[in-house]
Amino acid sequence: MRLYTYGIIDSSNQVNEPIYGLEGACVYNIPYCDIGAVVSELKEPVQNVTRSSVLAHEEVIERLMEYFTVLPVKFHTVFDGRDGVLSMMQSYYKDFKNNLDRLRNKVEFGIKVIWPADKVKKRIMNSQKKNEREMPVPAGSSNKKFIRKKFEEYKTNKEFEEKANKFINVMDIFFSKFAAEKKLKKLKTENLLLDAVYLVEKDKQDDFKEAFEHIKGPHTSFKFLFSGPWPAYNFVILPKNSDLLKDSKQEDLFDKVVQHQELVGADKI
Amino acid sequence: MHNVAVKSKEVTLLEILDRILNKGVVVSGDIVISVADVDLIYLGLKVLLSSVETMEQLRGAPIVGPMQEPT
Repeated sequence: MRLYTYGIIDSSNQVNEPIYGLEGACVYNIPYCDIGAVVSELKEPVQNVTRSSVLAHEEVIERLMEYFTVLPVKFHTVFDGRDGVLSMMQSYYKDFKNNLDRLRNKVEFGIKVIWPADKVKKRIMNSQKKNEREMPVPAGSSNKKFIRKKFEEYKTNKEFEEKANKFINVMDIFFSKFAAEKKLKKLKTENLLLDAVYLVEKDKQDDFKEAFEHIKGPHTSFKFLFSGPWPAYNFVILPKNSDLLKDSKQEDLFDKVVQHQELVGADKI
Repeated sequence: MHNVAVKSKEVTLLEILDRILNKGVVVSGDIVISVADVDLIYLGLKVLLSSVETMEQLRGAPIVGPMQEPT
């Protein structure tokens, strides 16, 4: 019997309400000591990643979040029967317990900030040109001109990065006030100024959202993508798989977000 | 049925995918990745998401579990 696994929860009790997962099968908890693995039975091998299977997986985890602290398990994790699940639980019990304790009553929020990189660069270059007009033009060889051009490019890029750091620092100060942990990625692409996830205590969610609105307000030329509350996908730490947790083959995904903002609704925010 | 909870949040499939394909509990060695021979996954969002590298990474990992899906 194939068991599709959705998440690890901080309870050995059964889920009170019926929750349906992949293939419309009812999910249930396989207890191990004081925690449990939530699974459903699969009749057929999953042959494809479809929109409905992705959403079914996520919906089960979201429903579980209403009742438990959840460590979401990666999509398409299938075990051969109850023994396989129990064996896994035995191997990772301490790690799961530590994570469940650390993540209890906390949720994750994602924030992506897209800025108009081309305009920012243009502005920097214009400002530099203005300053150059006041400086003498170097007479002489093309080598000198080439070096000067390269130096200007370097200055532009440096100032661009400084500006990015400045914006990120300001935003992060606000968000960090209400966050227990965070992970920030700066300038994944020129346009994706910030890709961040914050771990926030449940009773600080509203404050966190308010901080976001406060930051978003004045930056009308920026696009903000806010998502959550999520289970703490990005904050599960399992030392045994640290190599696998080191992401990411999904860099392209973020480029797509930047290139096709309409797909993720960022153009409407 | 599936969309109720998900649509209620202002998120997209991309955000979900970013999380569920690569984050959370990754129990290597025991898992079976049953997506085989799928190079590109079309998600109906006009985005071709190349996640085959991730799948390959996991498929290439030593499988000590008792079961392997047919490919």
